[in-house]
Amino acid sequence: MTQSPSRTLSGPGLYRRMAGASILAQLRYPGTFVIQAIGNFVTTLLSFFGIWSLFHRFGSIAGWDIGTVAVLYGLVNVAFAVAETLGRGFEVFGGEYVRTGSFDRLLLRPRSTLLLLLGHELRLRPIGRFLQGLFVLAAGLWLAPHVQWSAVLVLPWAIAGGAAMFLGVLIGQAALCFITVEGLEVVNVLTYGGVEAGQYPLTMFGRWLRRFITFVLPLAAVCYYPTLFSLAHPDPLGMPTWIGALSPVAGFAFLGVMILAWNRAVAGYVSSGS
Amino acid sequence: MSLRPYLTAFGLQWKIGLRYRIAVVAGLVAQMWFGAVTLMAYASVYHAAPDVQAPLSLRQAMTYTWIQQSLFTLLPLGCLPAIGDAARTGAIVYDLLRPVDMWNWWLSASLARLLGNAVPRAVLLACVAGPLAMLVGLGAWSLAGPASLISATLALVSIALGALLSATIVMWWNILTARTLSPLGSYAVGTPLAVLLSGMLLPLPLYPDWIRPFLLAQPFAGITDIPIRIYLGTPIPGGVATGLGLQVFWLAALTLLGRLWMRQTVNRLEVQGA
Repeated sequence: MTQSPSRTLSGPGLYRRMAGASILAQLRYPGTFVIQAIGNFVTTLLSFFGIWSLFHRFGSIAGWDIGTVAVLYGLVNVAFAVAETLGRGFEVFGGEYVRTGSFDRLLLRPRSTLLLLLGHELRLRPIGRFLQGLFVLAAGLWLAPHVQWSAVLVLPWAIAGGAAMFLGVLIGQAALCFITVEGLEVVNVLTYGGVEAGQYPLTMFGRWLRRFITFVLPLAAVCYYPTLFSLAHPDPLGMPTWIGALSPVAGFAFLGVMILAWNRAVAGYVSSGS
Repeated sequence: MSLRPYLTAFGLQWKIGLRYRIAVVAGLVAQMWFGAVTLMAYASVYHAAPDVQAPLSLRQAMTYTWIQQSLFTLLPLGCLPAIGDAARTGAIVYDLLRPVDMWNWWLSASLARLLGNAVPRAVLLACVAGPLAMLVGLGAWSLAGPASLISATLALVSIALGALLSATIVMWWNILTARTLSPLGSYAVGTPLAVLLSGMLLPLPLYPDWIRPFLLAQPFAGITDIPIRIYLGTPIPGGVATGLGLQVFWLAALTLLGRLWMRQTVNRLEVQGA
């Protein structure tokens, strides 16, 4: 049987097709979508109200002005929302693919398993977190002193790095499912817990936590240093400010390491059978 | 009237809560992480503004956070999962046919579910954050003891009322679920309300002064905030009696109104499925 070349989809074409189908499916229930998106928006916005209340009572967040903290907060939330939108397939990987054995079917397809899982669902719900993150980010840029013009370039670059890092965490979580079968909720410490830790300036934490979110999970590289660079804020810990323009690359490096781990894990996959 | 069916409903959900031991350990790790991040943030905020007179001392804020973290699963985050499933599949008619008082039937199941989840986690986290943290030399970060023996006893009474109040709020989510035939709405509404208004996000006494009376008077404060205040011995306007009084008031009000709403919902319930 011959197939005309135009019928064979390239990788990006296939992804577009899958993403489009997923979006249409979610819009079939517009009421549910709107309620979930609003719930997501309100929940995340309220969490900023908590930080603002601390600032209001103590006059600063450990010596940091509210503008800088808002930029940090917005940055990490927008980055995580992007990863949440793209990486749903990895989040549900254990329960829906490994346990049921339907991962075997993905392996039969002549495309990268990563691409197929990215196409599992393009989730729209995180748009609530995304929008409120942008909103807080804009407010932070409005309030912060010394905003640099270079922020126009550095902040999107940092968001991309952050999204890559969080996507890496989700891929790593999925790779672990080959061993644990069911997803490990402990990994939420790195995703939701990462967002929680990323929204505060690095200086507020003890040394062990600072080291963890700098060298193990490069959270500081995608949030803290780019924020300092964009706002021309000197680092109280003594790192040069220019590092923030380069550091988001660590997010992509983390993603790369996780993809390598994924490929190793897939190579050793034994189906759970059915 | 026999109590036996309600005790059975309680026993069943209690056992479901206890069955997932790995989830308990995973939850413990997550709560330790969130606790640690929050504690470090509070510590550096307090240290940066030593002359601000906050309504809670740093030590009290830390203890507040630990208790709040350990009681996370006691919060009314959404409807009882079994009722969510029953509403979706139509199996909810079986509940209508039972010769029991449906409010009490669902209430005992909801209460058992909350307690079965919360009790093991709370005991574990209290051991880790209390005595164990003392032993490894983290005494300054640990869970402090109660203000006095009397406040400990009153706090126990108050937390029992709080659990009952939480189950009553879960009843409202259950009715909402029966009405909309989907559990999603109850989670979208319940989770943000519970997290913000119970003091999980930020201790209620630390919010701006103008909003504090409202925060104390709303029903969610009765779940964990009032018991913790009694435990810590922090002043409540009007004393402990106000705290306990507010809990009893909300318990009575939400039960009466909830029963009315339930009767109305049941009368016009349309069930899906065949």
